Amino acid sequence: MNTVGPRFFAAALVVLLGIWAGIRMHSVHNAGQQSVHQEHGVAAPAGRASAPAPQDATASDAIGPRAVIPARLPDFSLKDLAGKATPISTWSGKSLVINFWATWCAPCRREIPLLKGLAAEWAGRDLAVVGIAVDYRDKVKEFADRFKIDYPVLIGDQDALDVAAQFGMDSPAFPFTVFTDGRGEVVALFVGELHRPQVDFILSEVQDLNHGRVQLPEARHLIAEGLAKLAEKQGT
Amino acid sequence: MRGIESNDTDFLPPDIAFRVSARVEGNALKVRWVIADGYYLYKQKLDVKAESPDLVVSPPQLPPGVVKTDPYLGTQEIYTQQVEAQVPYTRIDAGAHPIQIKVTYQGCAEAGLCYPPITKVVFPNAGTTAAPAPADIPPYPWEGIAIIGGAVGFLLAGLVLRKGRKLDLPA
Repeated sequence: MNTVGPRFFAAALVVLLGIWAGIRMHSVHNAGQQSVHQEHGVAAPAGRASAPAPQDATASDAIGPRAVIPARLPDFSLKDLAGKATPISTWSGKSLVINFWATWCAPCRREIPLLKGLAAEWAGRDLAVVGIAVDYRDKVKEFADRFKIDYPVLIGDQDALDVAAQFGMDSPAFPFTVFTDGRGEVVALFVGELHRPQVDFILSEVQDLNHGRVQLPEARHLIAEGLAKLAEKQGT
Repeated sequence: MRGIESNDTDFLPPDIAFRVSARVEGNALKVRWVIADGYYLYKQKLDVKAESPDLVVSPPQLPPGVVKTDPYLGTQEIYTQQVEAQVPYTRIDAGAHPIQIKVTYQGCAEAGLCYPPITKVVFPNAGTTAAPAPADIPPYPWEGIAIIGGAVGFLLAGLVLRKGRKLDLPA
């Protein structure tokens, strides 16, 4: 018994350590399961239940591109309304207005006539409008038929979200619109509902860029300044 | 500006624009959304479901919203500022599990931006809200006691069985 005693207590200690480790693991596992789950949108813990105000958010909190926006249009491919894989390079050589939208989004719907008008005005010229619907295919098809969308629309769910992330919109809200020049350089990314004065202003800078009247950094700077002035004028 | 020159947006992230909390009050859960100025939630898109296995919740009872007519989306009821849903509930196993609910909501900014539907698991309680940080969540005490009790019982059983027997250990 004397020789067994220490061994027994050593064994008991090992067992107790095992129990302790098990309880710790159980706690961690539970904590992981009980943390906030968010199936869509931004995965972040819920805030305090105090009244939020716009000033609660810092500049870095604001919705918009967080990662570095690519200097050039990334190479991606999504299915069109007919289900055919369509690379964005289909419109290579053209300036692009790439509009990310969804059928459930009211401001996205309000933009459609503007985008249709734009596509018609630039038809056969060096600019194309491409919609990217982050939505269910059936809903998009039905909506496109009903609203007679006649510019190309690509559709996706996670793959479209991945494309949005390539533009720095890793927690997307809709609509947002990317403008590129004819060389595939990303000139501007506009978050929120577009209006005619903003589109006209950005496209005038894109045209200046395409014709060599301005360089890309200057064009971007001018667009930022111009949009800020427009926003001030509109009181937004 | 962020990376390239574009419009410098002041849009709030969804967790700042819409803050959700829940508490238990009698036989009902009260789920409250506090909505930032200039933002709104769609009544039709608010939903509360049971997440813990022993919980049964009734459909949320919501107050009338403000009617918003959009030529492209039709007529919808929306909430601004704040809204509270009353959710009657019953529990099957008398509270062995903490109450967890799954809350879904979707809203937009008046200035022209919409957020995808958001679904969160929320832990209602008497004081605060949603989702404590993982480090704050205690393990279920009865499970720990069961594990320890089982292990001690196992050891005692071993001792009893061993009594009177020589343990054959290697030298």
